[in-house]
Parts: sequence; C-alpha cells; structure tokens
Amino acid sequence: MMKNNLPETDYELEIPAQAIQTDEMTLNMGPQHPSTHGVLRVILKTDGEIVTKATPFIGYLHRCFEKHAENVSWVQVIPYTDRMDYLASMNMNHGYAIALERMMGLQVNERAEHIRVIVAELNRIASHLVALGTYGLDIGAFTPFLYTFRERERILDLFELISGARLLYNFIWVGGVAYDAPQGWREKVLEFCDYFEPKIKEYNDILTYNKIFIERTANVGVIPADLAINYALSGPTLRASGVKYDLRRDDPYSIYDRFDFKVCIGQGQVGTVGDSWDRYIVRVDEMVESNKIIRQAAQAMPEGDALETVPKNVKVPEGEYYMRTETPRGELGYFIVSDGKKNPVRVKVRSPAFVNLSVLPAIAPGTMVADLVAIVGSLDIVLGEIDR
Amino acid sequence: MYFKNIYEAVWTILIGMGVTFRHLFTRSVTLQYPHERDVLPERSRQKLHVNIDDCIGCLQCERACPVSCISIETIKAGKDEDLGATSNGQKKRLHVTKFNIDMAKCCYCADCVFPCPTECITMTPDFEFATYDRKDLMFRFSTYTREQVKTLKLREAEERKAKESARPAAPKNPESSN
Ligand code: SF4
Ligand code: SF4
Repeated sequence: MMKNNLPETDYELEIPAQAIQTDEMTLNMGPQHPSTHGVLRVILKTDGEIVTKATPFIGYLHRCFEKHAENVSWVQVIPYTDRMDYLASMNMNHGYAIALERMMGLQVNERAEHIRVIVAELNRIASHLVALGTYGLDIGAFTPFLYTFRERERILDLFELISGARLLYNFIWVGGVAYDAPQGWREKVLEFCDYFEPKIKEYNDILTYNKIFIERTANVGVIPADLAINYALSGPTLRASGVKYDLRRDDPYSIYDRFDFKVCIGQGQVGTVGDSWDRYIVRVDEMVESNKIIRQAAQAMPEGDALETVPKNVKVPEGEYYMRTETPRGELGYFIVSDGKKNPVRVKVRSPAFVNLSVLPAIAPGTMVADLVAIVGSLDIVLGEIDR
Repeated sequence: MYFKNIYEAVWTILIGMGVTFRHLFTRSVTLQYPHERDVLPERSRQKLHVNIDDCIGCLQCERACPVSCISIETIKAGKDEDLGATSNGQKKRLHVTKFNIDMAKCCYCADCVFPCPTECITMTPDFEFATYDRKDLMFRFSTYTREQVKTLKLREAEERKAKESARPAAPKNPESSN
C-alpha cells in the first residue's frame, strides 16, 4: 500500500500499487469516412482522445495500373494514367508523355509545349482548389468549398473546350497534344487568369485567416524539415516544412525554365514551420504562382500546328528511363522499361501521395482524434493514386 | 489574451460573413439542370456514334481501344458485289455484320476516334443515355438483320470450302519449307 501525497487528512486514500491502466481503444477510421478523401482506412489506437498509434491501410482502390500497362500498347497506357490521380490527370499524362519522348528522343512542337504547360498548371490550380475546399470541409467550414468548386468549374470548362472531357482527359500525348487549342481558347485562359487573381483574397478572407480555422490547424501535425526529408516527402507537403525544392525549378522539364515563378515555402506565420496551416497556405501561394506561369505561357504561345510532332506509331527503343515531374501532390516518377516491342515491359510509378501518406504514423501519435482529420486533410492525398 | 481571442474569432468570422453577404447579390452560377441546359462544346466527349454507312470494317478502332469494348465482325463481299463507297470515296469491301460498342465499358478516351480512316466513329455531346439495365448500354450499329448475316455466313463458308477443294494438292508444310 502506498501513501498518497495529499496533505494530512483524517482518512487515507487507497491507491493500488500499479498505476491505473486505462483501456486502450482501437478505433477504425474509414474506409468510408468523409475526411479520408476516398477509401483510406486508418486504425487508431487511442488513449481517451489522444491517438497513440495510427496505421493506414490502403488498397481499397487498387486497379492494377502497372499490370494493365504491361498488356496495352504504349499510347493506350495514357487513359490509364488519367485514372491514377483523377484530380490532376493532365499532370499524370504529362509525366508519362515526357518519359516516352525522352526515351524516343522526340522534340516536341513549341506550341504543343506551351499548351501542355498551360493545361498542367490549370490542373494544378484545379487540384489545389479541391484540396482547399475539402480541407475546409474537414475542419467544418462549408462555404469555401462551394467557392473553390465554382472556380474549378471554370477550369473544367476550359478543359472541356480543348479536350472534350471534364475529368479524364487523355489529352497530353506522346509528342504533343491530342487536339490543338480551338479559336479563342487562349483569350479565355487569359480571361480566367484575370478572374482568378482576386479570388485568392476571397479565400483568405473567408478561410485562411479565420481564427477558428487557425486554431484548428496551426501547430497541428508539425513535420520538421529533417523528418520530411527522411520520409521522402515531396510537393507542397515538403515545401511547407521549409525545404525549397520544386522539380519545376530544380530539375526543369518541358519548358518550365523559361518562366518566372517563385517556389513557395512554409514560414510558420501563425504557428510552427511545417504545421497543417503551412501546408494549406503553400497551396494557396502556389495557385498564385501557377496563375503567373499560365499567364506567361499563354502570352508566349506561338502560332502553328500543335499536332505536328505527334508520331503515327509510337516506337520506343529498348532501354530504361526514370522521369520525374512535379504534380500538385509532389514528385511523380515513371520508371519505364522497354524491350522495343509494342507494349511496355514495366511501368513503375512512384506516386507522391503514397509517399506523403507514409509520414502519418510518425506524426499522428500524441494528437487528438479530431486533429488527425486535419492532418490527413492537409497531406492532400488522392487514394486513386496511392492504390493505383 | 482571452478577450483578444474572442474578439479575433468574432471579427474574422464577420469578415468571412461579409464575403458570403456580397455573394447574395451576384448572379447565380448554377443551372437548374433539367429545365436549363448548358451548351456543350462540339469536342465534348460523351456518347459514341458510328456512321455505319461510312464504315469500311478496317478494325482500326477496335484495335485502338484500351478496354476492348468495341467488337466488330466482318464478312468479305463477293466478287460481283458492289457495296458502294464511303463519303470520302473509299471503296467498301467488307460487310460489317456486327458493330457493337459497350458503352458500359467505354472509358470515353476517344482513342478509337483518331485512327478511323473514314472518320465515321465520332464522339457526340449527347450525354443523356442512362438506362435502367446495364445491357441496354450495348449499342448495336450494324444494320444487317439476322437472316442476312446467316446467308452471308453460309456463303462465306461455302466459298472457303470451294477454295480449299480447288487446291488440295499443295499442302504447305512449315517444317519442310525451311
Ligand atoms: S472511347 Fe475509348 S474506351 Fe470508348 S470505345 Fe473508344 S477507344 Fe474504347
Ligand atoms: S476505324 Fe472506322 S472504318 Fe475502321 S472499323 Fe472502325 S469505324 Fe469502321
């Protein structure tokens, strides 16, 4: 029997020799959970409200992309890449197309390159808009979601004009693009740039600097820079931790080296560097930068035939190639093996959201269950790409 | 600090409310769908359409499809038969006895549209073709009736038999030829 450390009283409290064991609870979050952005299942071990362990389980959306790719011809893979990250299909197409072009030693037509950069950056904005909107939704702010989707709708309209599809485009092809830009499309893009710029302030007013939003996200799920690098994070998730690394600038592909843009990093304005709010604000800043790139590219877009360099038959010489590009979620890598025949031998994808999610077990312990929603949302995962 | 927090929370919410309030007076961006309709651009990729009169049965579209949802069967036309020509002047040599597109499988990638030499398979902006039964999404474009197909098949079989009996004395043996 132990004596308690209360001041002398008339009676003594009995405290068992062993400290009280509170029951650890196992909580199943997902797969059908509105804040898991698809079908992510996280098994939580909780001590009351505090998470002690979080283990993500994936695979609910597995569609065998890599195996499919081995059984269809080179160009037929492109519609399948669309379906990996369905919020940024253009960027997915882009990486694959560049990889094949480099293997084949193909020079892409100037006009096609400009169109590609415009659509890829538009898609980046669209993807970040979804990230912003749904993140607000996770935290409990409904209205910003409607506003971000309104702007995204305008982008999808632009995509529909140029490619005919709204979500899965199959637009960026090996050696160029599927369709040339129709008459007046460039002006519409510039119009969108003008329209979009003032909207950023609207988001900032309604969500970014809202005190409640800041309280929910600042200092939550802090990823220090060394942890971020150790876990090979990329994209906004890495940059929010203060690491200035953007493949568009550090390993330029396509024609990104011609444009003037800033790499945005998290500065810990309202909390610590690398917290959820930083990941959010990096996306907002990136939309501004993407807007700048789009404006420059649209103004520099030359006349000509964008379909000029699209080969009739895609013949990929024997060899291997690894190509990485910057998608809205981070570094997307395609490792392609060819034996010079009709089909790819292997298409391995390094998917950014998959790697970004891997940091969750490292930062989840010690947070509240409600904060875990904020953390998962701020990682901006797309399960289609994680599971492939 | 406590009061400052409360003040900030209220004030930032009011700023946000101001944004939503201003939106009360802007034009609505939504459409009341069944009553109002958007005009889709002509490139819009929704339902596939095949102008079967122009199809020469070259199977290019079937080969290009990544999910194999087009199935085509053709029968060679007889020597004295004239099937006419397509609208861009290509001569038709094959009866297209079967041209089915399973729109339930189609992934709307439009890969089949580009290789067609006569531009007879196209994407149309018509998107309202939902059905109650998945089987109804199988679109049949061939105009041949079942009887016609039967007679054509019979004739083809007969022709093949005739051909085989015409030159039975030259069996090609792959082993002996090299
Ligand atoms: S659109 Fe794509 S999936 Fe559909 S039939 Fe054509 S090639 Fe096949
Ligand atoms: S590619 Fe055109 S012509 Fe050839 S089979 Fe298909 S629809 Fe007919």
